[in-house]
Amino acid sequence: MRSLLEAVSYLREYDKLANISEIARRYFAMNAFDGVLTIIGVLMGNLVAGVNSAQIVLSTGLTTSIAMGISGLWGAYLTESAERKRDLDEVSRVMLTDLTDTRIGRASRAAIFIVAIVDGFSPFMAALVVLLPFFLAGNFEDLTWAYYTSLGLALFTLFSLGLFLGHISRGRMIVYGIKTVLAGVVSIVISFFLGVSG
Amino acid sequence: MAKIRRLVLDTLKPHEPNIIDLANVLSELTGVSAVNISIYELDRKVENAKITIEGEDISFEQVSHLIEDMGGTIHSIDEVVAGKMIIDDAATLQD
Repeated sequence: MRSLLEAVSYLREYDKLANISEIARRYFAMNAFDGVLTIIGVLMGNLVAGVNSAQIVLSTGLTTSIAMGISGLWGAYLTESAERKRDLDEVSRVMLTDLTDTRIGRASRAAIFIVAIVDGFSPFMAALVVLLPFFLAGNFEDLTWAYYTSLGLALFTLFSLGLFLGHISRGRMIVYGIKTVLAGVVSIVISFFLGVSG
Repeated sequence: MAKIRRLVLDTLKPHEPNIIDLANVLSELTGVSAVNISIYELDRKVENAKITIEGEDISFEQVSHLIEDMGGTIHSIDEVVAGKMIIDDAATLQD
């Protein structure tokens, strides 16, 4: 219990030093948004192509989600570590000491780890939520309801992300919600017409 | 060995952790009763801080280790008071 409290206290300190929660929050919103829109693309592709197998939709959706997760994890790890290393090196140069093994260095490493995890998991989890109806659709003949439920779930997830962003900005949450949903609707409509014309 | 009762240090530190955090952790050390930190020079990435510590039995090793762990470096020890009580430097004719 004591070590858990100590870990929380260290995390709080590192958060303050390395601004972890603000950056992680930004990555979370941005990548969950990416994840939902990508899965909308996968779903619409399957829908307009007339795929009527939950297994095919799930395998394309899940492989896309895993790729997004790995992309987020790797991308955030590489960019964050490069940025943080540069910042730490710059302060170390001015201080004329190596700051790697100080609280600043440890906070910097914790930030890289946490941000990479958030960046990897947010699109993956968002995509999983949207694909949820297809996990239950295995026993049904017609998948139309699963497609529409998934798309509805995608728009709902986008709306929730918008509310979250509105809450962060202390702006009008509903406006942010409508803006994010609009992106999903635009994506669905364009995919639909591409499918019809194709 | 005589107990150190006051230390005045000239340090260089990054802006973060700020002096509130630094004062907090220094004041939690055993043997420390009070800490005063003031910034007397500010640069883009770093700042110079004068740290005054008073207490019953200050451990310089612990203090310097903590300052370094917080990313700072001690440039000089500007004043030390050790013994049974705190005394200030005596005024002389030259002053």
